[in-house]
Amino acid sequence: MITNNRGATGPAVAFRDVVKVYHPDISARSGPATPPKALDHVTFDIQPGETVALLGPNGAGKSTAIDTMLGLRTPTSGEVRILGGSAAAAVAAGQIGGMLQTGGLPEGARVSELTGLFRQLYRDRRSTAELLTLAGIADLADRRVEQLSGGQTQRVRFALALAGNPELLFLDEPTAALDVEARRHFWRSVETIAGQGATVLFATHYLEEADANATRIIVVNHGRVIADGTPAQIKAFTATRTLRFSTHVPDPSELLKLPGVTDVVVNGDAVTVRTSDADGTLPALYALGRQIKAMEVGGGGLEEALIALTSADNGPVMERAS
Amino acid sequence: MAAFLRFEIVRSLRNVRFVVFIAGFPVLLYLIYAKQTGTSQGLTVAAILMVSMAVWSGMGSAMFATGPQLAKERQNGWMRQLRVSPISAPRWFTAKLVQGLLLIIPGFVLLILLGFGYGHVHLAAGRVAMLAAVIVLGVIPFCALGLVIGLIFDGQTAQVAQMLTLLVLAFLGGIFIPYSKLPHVMQEIANVLPSYHLVQLGWNAVAGRALGVQHMLALAAWTVALGLVAVWRWRQESTTA
Repeated sequence: MITNNRGATGPAVAFRDVVKVYHPDISARSGPATPPKALDHVTFDIQPGETVALLGPNGAGKSTAIDTMLGLRTPTSGEVRILGGSAAAAVAAGQIGGMLQTGGLPEGARVSELTGLFRQLYRDRRSTAELLTLAGIADLADRRVEQLSGGQTQRVRFALALAGNPELLFLDEPTAALDVEARRHFWRSVETIAGQGATVLFATHYLEEADANATRIIVVNHGRVIADGTPAQIKAFTATRTLRFSTHVPDPSELLKLPGVTDVVVNGDAVTVRTSDADGTLPALYALGRQIKAMEVGGGGLEEALIALTSADNGPVMERAS
Repeated sequence: MAAFLRFEIVRSLRNVRFVVFIAGFPVLLYLIYAKQTGTSQGLTVAAILMVSMAVWSGMGSAMFATGPQLAKERQNGWMRQLRVSPISAPRWFTAKLVQGLLLIIPGFVLLILLGFGYGHVHLAAGRVAMLAAVIVLGVIPFCALGLVIGLIFDGQTAQVAQMLTLLVLAFLGGIFIPYSKLPHVMQEIANVLPSYHLVQLGWNAVAGRALGVQHMLALAAWTVALGLVAVWRWRQESTTA
């Protein structure tokens, strides 16, 4: 007898000190070098109803984390609880829906047959009309799988993840092949599903996507959680800008007093200043009355944000607002 | 499971290559060769060939349900998608087995009709039923063989492996060439092949002879051996992940 945990208390996902090492046996044989950890002591909880973005560059461990939550991979150590039980139990009970990063569809099938099959595999079904509308594939229902474009295939895979009206939805880089219009429709649908009470976890490497669509962002890199907070907190953390300019005989102590400045590096006339508030730093810098030449303002992209976050790796990790 | 089975059968029947293989190819061969005159061990050429072609069609159907299709779907991620849906591995496997067995029907019916109408084979209904039972049960090891091929090889390689396996089984098993015309060494090989035992069972059923316990035991042994390899590969794949 499988019980439905909907409405149960406790986290939807509990990830406790999870480590995943691929092929530990091979690494052990090849020498003393420690095998790379795809997940390196990862701990977080996801509460029911949250929409969480797992943000990080390629190879950060996002897919490994999602595959582990879906029961496709077993952690080397640590504990993973999904809706209070094992991932396998949640999958078998039809409580979770998963859209994997890569996934072909079976040849010879029509889209309507695929969605029909998945609605029947899950006991808690969503109506066909609602499913097709949410996924934006109403016009594709009669198409054969071989005739679909990459973006259309991705939308059909989204439909399959939604078919059971899952209480926990995993989306691994779900918009990679979608155009702008399809992306907008996709996120509107995710919002609808979240509004119906589902817990959503999606992986992305776009800060903008995480910021616009998640209530919480967990940043991962090199298999570790390096930041965990609201989009506003993460953005503030990543708002660091780098100012590069040259000035005659720069005085580091004077520059450090400027608003927002966290770090000054002087090399001859060349100066590099890191600031958390470029809009405050720049006017104050010019107000010093010095001659400032060749000003460059860098940063803001996720790339730099991640560098900022990763370099703070050993420092205090941001606490999540409760 | 019924939903999954129906889904798989519908898309298989859309696959032109599959339909040609399980129905078109044996029918064509039958039309070409069944008019030869002659008898062997009390059976006409038309009756012998009817059984051979039904066995060939059944083997192909059973192996198609898994085989290259499984290899391709393991590779393109469809199997992973199914693994995060509520269908369990034993149910998936049962559905695939039933798919392989049900898809024997079109080829079998066509060949019986051709045998009766074109080859002037005269068989009592009981013997036709016996042949049907022999083929349905006898192709189970081939379902397992398809599973092994689909789990060991990747995409394109599985396609080639499947074709080669089928041809070797058909030629050496005495389906395309009569067993008595095979060189002695090949007869020795044939004696262990599941295709040889299955086609012998089929001829015995049609001729009204004792089926032969040794043939049944051989097929059962193949089923167990291939089944174990398949389970081992399946476990290996889902636990090393």
